[in-house]
Amino acid sequence: MTESPLILLLYNLARGPLVWISGLIFIMGVIYQCVSMYKLTQKQIPFMKASQLNDPDALKFDIKQTVLYTHPVMTVVTSVFHMCLIIIPLFLLAHNILLDQSIGFSLLSFSENISDFLTMIYCVCAFIFLFRRIFLKRVRIISTFYDYVIWFLASAPFITGFLAYHQLFNYFWIVTLHMILGELMIIAIPFTKFAHMIYFIIFRFFVVNEYSLRRLQATRTF
Amino acid sequence: MENLNNVEQTIAVQSQDTCQLLNTFKDKMTLSLKVCAHCTLCAESCFMFMKNNKDPHYMPSYKFINSIGVIYKKKGNLKRNDLEKMKDIVWKHCVLCTRCYCPIGIDIPSMISTARSYCRAQGVYPEFDEIY
Ligand code: SF4
Ligand code: SF4
Repeated sequence: MTESPLILLLYNLARGPLVWISGLIFIMGVIYQCVSMYKLTQKQIPFMKASQLNDPDALKFDIKQTVLYTHPVMTVVTSVFHMCLIIIPLFLLAHNILLDQSIGFSLLSFSENISDFLTMIYCVCAFIFLFRRIFLKRVRIISTFYDYVIWFLASAPFITGFLAYHQLFNYFWIVTLHMILGELMIIAIPFTKFAHMIYFIIFRFFVVNEYSLRRLQATRTF
Repeated sequence: MENLNNVEQTIAVQSQDTCQLLNTFKDKMTLSLKVCAHCTLCAESCFMFMKNNKDPHYMPSYKFINSIGVIYKKKGNLKRNDLEKMKDIVWKHCVLCTRCYCPIGIDIPSMISTARSYCRAQGVYPEFDEIY
């Protein structure tokens, strides 16, 4: 191999210890965030009588109030984007081979063609977000430099992964960059704006509020 | 006299009460501000936005970023000018009807209401005959 010692060192670090370090920071960060979010909630006294719970009208969810009605296209784009964000790295063949080699355990894998296709879809969604941010005044006026950094962190690992798979540019450099960016993103999830992933799950599914799935049950409230 | 007015306009606004108010809500507000993805999908749920020709300045996200967002960003060290700028946002552009809907689950009305409490504590509120 004719690569410089520095890039070799980075490659070995990114392929070995940094994977475990980022995974560990991610898990600790998620636990920390869950505990802090839980601390912000309080015990809720049931605000509906048992008889009202059987009333189908009380359980009706007005779809006109949701983004599915006001932004059908963005609902599809954002759902597909977030779904791909989770399933592509988890079920990617190359990731699972590496996992198998290091701990002798791996998940199911998509065929390479499916992963490649999903990555393209993911990149298209990411660019829709970017163009919205740049060209739509309503998004632009509340955007900051930090939003672009977050966009970069979310898209770069997938773009570099796509380039590496197709062996475009210098494979060794691209794949090293891919691993480092991916690890940075994993570390960033619990501590940056990406924490909305954790927030969404907790506040839309587990805490009572008007739009949460538990809105009619006695549990905790924000 | 004019000089005096200028001084008043830029004087820092802080008091024990308002510091306490900011501390009480700090964790909830800073978390909500942090996780907002700045996506603007909440805009259409606000009738003020819809009735004002979809003017982005009426979006719920614009309103909380430019009120409570500024308050926490500056850690409460605001000038009277800053508060005058957010007066219309918190009192006129939002009626706290609590109809705004954020797909991530952010409690937008509580953020605007905290900004209102802060403004009220600083004496920034519309006079009775100012109501539009
Ligand atoms: S409040 Fe919710 S819907 Fe509105 S911009 Fe923030 S994340 Fe998007
Ligand atoms: S509470 Fe304010 S921001 Fe929310 S929908 Fe009502 S007027 Fe709009």
